[in-house]
Amino acid sequence: MDAISSRRFPALAGGLGRVLLPRLFQAGLVAWLVGTLTFVLTRTLPGDMAYRIAAGRYGHDMVNSAAAEAVRAELALDQPALLAYLHWLGDLLRLDLGNSLVSGEPVIHELSHQLGHSLGLAMVAVLLSLLLGPPLGLAAGLRPGGWWDRVSEGLASLLRALPPFALGLLLILLFSVSLGWLPAAGHGRTAHFVLPALTLALALAAVSSRVARNAMVEVSGSAYYAFSRTKGLGERLSFLRHGLRNAAVPIVAYLGVQFVYLIEGVVVVETLFAWPGIGHALVHAIVARDVPMIQGTALVMGLMFVALNTGVDLLCHGLDPRRRQS
Amino acid sequence: MSDSLLEVSALTIRGEGVTIAPVDFSLARGGRLTLLGETGSGKSLIAQAIMGTLPKGLSARGELTIEGDGFAAAEGAARRALWGRRLALLPQEPWHALDPTMRAGAQVAESHRYLRGLGRRRAREAALHDLAGLGLAGAEARLPGELSGGMAQRVAFAAASAGGAPIVIADEPTKGLDAPRRDAVVKLLAGTPERGGALLTITHDIEVARRLGGEVIVLRQGRVVERGPAEQLLSAPRSDYTRQLLDAEPARWPAPPPPPATAEEPVVEARGLAKWRGGRELFCDLDLSLRPGEIVGVVGPSGCGKSTLGDLLLGLAERDCGEIWRAPGQRLAFQKLYQDPPAAFSPHWTLARLLEDLVRRHRLDRDAIAPLMARLGLDPALLARRPGEISGGELQRFAILRVLLMEPRFLFADEPTSRLDPITQRDTLALLVELARERHCAVMLVSHDPALIERVCDQRLVLGGEEAERVPEDLAALAV
Amino acid sequence: MSATTLFTAGRAGRRRLATRQRLGLGLLGLLLAIAWLTPWLHDADPARQQLVRILELPSLVAPLGTDHLGRDLLARTAAALRLSLGMALLSVISAAVPGILLGVIAGWRGGWVDRVLGSLADACLALPGLLLVLLLVAIAPGNFWALYVGIALVLWIEYFRVVRARTRVLVASPQLQASRLLGFGPGYLFRRHLWPELAPQVLTLAAFGAASAILAMAALGFVSVGLRPPTAELGLMMTELLPYYHEAPWAMAQPILALCLLVLSLNLLAGKDPR
Repeated sequence: MDAISSRRFPALAGGLGRVLLPRLFQAGLVAWLVGTLTFVLTRTLPGDMAYRIAAGRYGHDMVNSAAAEAVRAELALDQPALLAYLHWLGDLLRLDLGNSLVSGEPVIHELSHQLGHSLGLAMVAVLLSLLLGPPLGLAAGLRPGGWWDRVSEGLASLLRALPPFALGLLLILLFSVSLGWLPAAGHGRTAHFVLPALTLALALAAVSSRVARNAMVEVSGSAYYAFSRTKGLGERLSFLRHGLRNAAVPIVAYLGVQFVYLIEGVVVVETLFAWPGIGHALVHAIVARDVPMIQGTALVMGLMFVALNTGVDLLCHGLDPRRRQS
Repeated sequence: MSDSLLEVSALTIRGEGVTIAPVDFSLARGGRLTLLGETGSGKSLIAQAIMGTLPKGLSARGELTIEGDGFAAAEGAARRALWGRRLALLPQEPWHALDPTMRAGAQVAESHRYLRGLGRRRAREAALHDLAGLGLAGAEARLPGELSGGMAQRVAFAAASAGGAPIVIADEPTKGLDAPRRDAVVKLLAGTPERGGALLTITHDIEVARRLGGEVIVLRQGRVVERGPAEQLLSAPRSDYTRQLLDAEPARWPAPPPPPATAEEPVVEARGLAKWRGGRELFCDLDLSLRPGEIVGVVGPSGCGKSTLGDLLLGLAERDCGEIWRAPGQRLAFQKLYQDPPAAFSPHWTLARLLEDLVRRHRLDRDAIAPLMARLGLDPALLARRPGEISGGELQRFAILRVLLMEPRFLFADEPTSRLDPITQRDTLALLVELARERHCAVMLVSHDPALIERVCDQRLVLGGEEAERVPEDLAALAV
Repeated sequence: MSATTLFTAGRAGRRRLATRQRLGLGLLGLLLAIAWLTPWLHDADPARQQLVRILELPSLVAPLGTDHLGRDLLARTAAALRLSLGMALLSVISAAVPGILLGVIAGWRGGWVDRVLGSLADACLALPGLLLVLLLVAIAPGNFWALYVGIALVLWIEYFRVVRARTRVLVASPQLQASRLLGFGPGYLFRRHLWPELAPQVLTLAAFGAASAILAMAALGFVSVGLRPPTAELGLMMTELLPYYHEAPWAMAQPILALCLLVLSLNLLAGKDPR
């Protein structure tokens, strides 16, 4: 094995660049897109932008026309659009996200709290979904057309038809309102994690179980799976040595697609469960038209998406030796 | 223990439009048996019935005796414990039979480890030893995608036989391999009976049966047509069908008629042609010219650029060097026949529709179609079907019909019969040659079978000579 | 053996709807009928408040009861279904047409055209779809058209990618090469070779796309950044009726059920499991 791993190492190093560079580019694109869209937002806001930002910065009582003028000059709001746009992107590049118009706190400061909460929720949800979906899907895929395959297909269809907010609502009504087992909303104790994480996890598992099922059907119908059985490895060893890895490749690759649902779900589920994370903050910021917060939260969510996808790429890279070949 | 390793008595297979009449045979130590038959003869099903891997909907009956132990053919699951240890199956398409995400060495080592119970390290050493013995030293770290077809076949052989099973069943082991690689595989298989095992081979290739020797059973549509020792059966067949089958072998085709003496201008001519692919030179400084009605054969091992040469002449590929001159006039008079007939048609429309499209597009004469179809032996009822719903031979004749309607001057036939059964292959090629001569159409025929080219063509072009010479070295390495 | 595989390949090539797709089509037809026939059969304004008749049980006057402002729920649910279906149809069409067109062009031409269009699609996918829609909605709050542009901008990529990949394979295939050699032009090649292959996939994408458009609009309505009250919109109705869960569970259930059935019918119509 040593010979193989030493051979593998340079291939890994060479292949990694091809994995990471596009993602780095994507991260830059996310920042640019968010910056540009929020810049357009500042230009379309009703009322005097300078006053609003000054109010956000110094408090409503302290604002006067002199302070507004200072802000106007600083943010280049009195300048032509193109110059102001460059100025805006420049600030973004220096990671100067400004202060929230609502709380007056620096955006970065608020984000650092919220990010922890959102990441915690997302991690628990993804782990839970991985514990639920793929094993159930693999079980269904080992006997396609069997009773478990049909039951799990019906369940998955039903769950996929329920959007996360409706699913969350039903879970609240069942576990909090009717049974009183779990808190409906809030944050702080472990019990608070259960419902929002379960809501997200069920939606993710519904899809990943079917992906796993199809992957397993494909693998178990393949010539190499049949060969591993006829060469005498038996059911269990064939599954462990040739089934799992090959089925895992599409499951993991599909996680990347699922993260789109995850990010969307986080926005809705956090709002529903009053979870103090990024998604909740984004919705609040949009309602309050708090431009710096919109920019900050959207940026962080976009970058989180890129980071998760990078993780998936790396995992695929590790799982599938074909990707390491040049 | 008796001398017989595998005994099959009154084996029948039934279900879903398949019936295999009772088959009996027995294989002693050192014995070799070949089941020979065309597509649909049920030869692969017999192998599956012995292994116990018949697809759903098919059931087997009869008795099997494996190394003295009796089994009911109907209970396939009972033989799973024998897999790898007493029964080894060499898979049909080795490329697909190897796990694409596992390195070659590990795929062989796992058989040693789990079937023979060797430790991790000793299993690995045994695998390296096996691979080196097969001329694959240094290939253990490669993924199946990086192996050639012949190498993959040898890796699969090592993985299948590592468990030390005395009975080896090889199901179409030479499918898709060219002549030198086919002979290498036959040599590899012959090693099993030489070591005291028994070999059951399933093939459509008469040459494989001849080289393996032993007993041969000829099957046709689920029935045993004839059986006997290979030398006798293959030299003096008793049944008509076997005779037909043997006559369909290119080497036995009637000698070609002398090429028509024509002084006409060439249809297409090439001078100093060269082509590179992936930094490798396929051919260079190639001269050729085709006159009307002339048939030129191109032979060479896989990947030597045979298809590329034809595409260059048709203008479908770009040349790297040299000159190509085509007879002035219609661009549409340069046509092509494809290796895989269904892939050359859109599967969604009936043949009548596709033919009608062609007639309308070029305002062809509708009355010319019926006689031509009769010549090609095509039933008009087939027109109502879609390309996927008729046999490969029929579809290839439709492709010929379609092309002939365009009144071609040059036809590039890229292994047009390699996916057809031998009898169909001979008939299809004979028709093609006859029609081409009659209509003064030059044909460039590609094949991996030199005997076929020799029997059909007026001129012969060999590509990739050095490649061809390298294979015998492989063979030498195989003398285990 | 090759004869049987040929046969099955031919059968799969034919366009026929599977049982689950027919089920989805039936369900979708039913919802369409409810959405568009209700205004004809049941004369009630979805926006008219009657504060003396709040949260009434279903009756002959209001077959599905009334909401917390005394508005007729049947009329509101039907109006919300019309809105959702209208948005779905509009965004699917405006995503499919450019998606297919650009996909065929990119797959066919290859080279720099393919690279430019491919990067454009990647750029649109850099942000998760809903985030892009949210930002556009922030620029024009409560505006149906901002919502629509955002959704269509996200959806076209899926068509583009699938069509491009399939086209690229087909353009290099013997069947297309054979037809070209026989002198057929691009129009014919598209009609006879490309479209029959693409159509089932486009149908699947359209059904999934319609479902995601409907879900996106409802999700934004639910978190109060989508369309504004008093519009009858499924997500918005859920938020509005949530506080009255105890008094009127039947009212709360209606938008949820309508949304689920709508999405379920589209998922069934799509036919296959995801990708």
